[in-house]
Amino acid sequence: MTTRPTDSPVVTVTTRLVAMFVLTFALFTLFHGTSSVGGGFQGGVIAAAAVIILAFGVGMERTTAWLSPRWLLALVVAGPLAFVLVAFGGILAGGSFLQFDVLPIPKPSVYATEFVELGIGATVAGVVVSLFVRLSGGVDNE
Amino acid sequence: MITELLVAILLGLVVAAAVVAALARGILTTLAAFGAYSLGLAVVWLVFRAPDVALTEAAVGAGVTTALFLVVVARTIGFGVPQQQRQNSTPSSEFVDGDEATRVGDAGASEGTRLRTAVTGAVRQGRRRSVVVASLVTGGLLLTVPALPVVGAADTPGFGPVTEYYLTDSATRGIDNVVTAILVVYRGFDTFGEIAVVVTAVVAAVAVLNQGEER
Repeated sequence: MTTRPTDSPVVTVTTRLVAMFVLTFALFTLFHGTSSVGGGFQGGVIAAAAVIILAFGVGMERTTAWLSPRWLLALVVAGPLAFVLVAFGGILAGGSFLQFDVLPIPKPSVYATEFVELGIGATVAGVVVSLFVRLSGGVDNE
Repeated sequence: MITELLVAILLGLVVAAAVVAALARGILTTLAAFGAYSLGLAVVWLVFRAPDVALTEAAVGAGVTTALFLVVVARTIGFGVPQQQRQNSTPSSEFVDGDEATRVGDAGASEGTRLRTAVTGAVRQGRRRSVVVASLVTGGLLLTVPALPVVGAADTPGFGPVTEYYLTDSATRGIDNVVTAILVVYRGFDTFGEIAVVVTAVVAAVAVLNQGEER
């Protein structure tokens, strides 16, 4: 399988180096969704790409050993949860479902959007990593 | 002028990559061409000033999808065909047009040859049929192209009053990226449904992939 550790030190070192920057870029994309290009979907996919790069570089076993299925599940449900919180928060604050500008926080639209984007990013990253791990042979039976 | 030239070159690259992806014999070649296709499209989006879509296309289309395909191929039919076998048997363990990949190399000599010719014939037939279907679909889509508005035409819905509202209102809300504002603030309900679809998809995939795995 391609997910076994490669023999080439070039690949291993490169993936280790690149993965850090990919993750940094993912977090940048996630947190700057309201002010520049990107957002939850893009940031989440790039964060998952960092994990996939590591899996190709250091091998599937070492990568899955470092991933926790429970945390992955928590990541996957984070997006809908964030959305539900914000949506019903709008109702509780006296507005309507998913109304942002009535929330009792400073700059409600910006921070509520950021919150939802972070949830979406967590969900997308969790989904892509779970799919990748499952398709390549599962977490437990390696 | 220079932009049009760039777009023409990029679209040519995209079409070439698509043709290579469809007709390549090796599955690895197909995957590489498919990645190049997505990357070319991502740059096209960038030229058309849609960086959000470009980022998504590059990350999902060129990156993650290719990795998922690689993993699935490695797990199912594999890449491991020795060079010699690959030369004298054309399509052996390759995955073409949904035909079942058969590990021809493992079979006995005479049986292997018979199987090989059968598989080759089936693949040829399937390939011809897919070329016809692909040409028909491409021709049909090309027929609709004259109905599309010119790029940047002022009477398209994209330049209606709602666009003005989005642009001014998102600025007063303090969100500089209008795409994000539309996705979450104005069309939040749609995005909510979208993320529910993503979660449902992974739940279904995990449920299916766990079947038959003794845990």
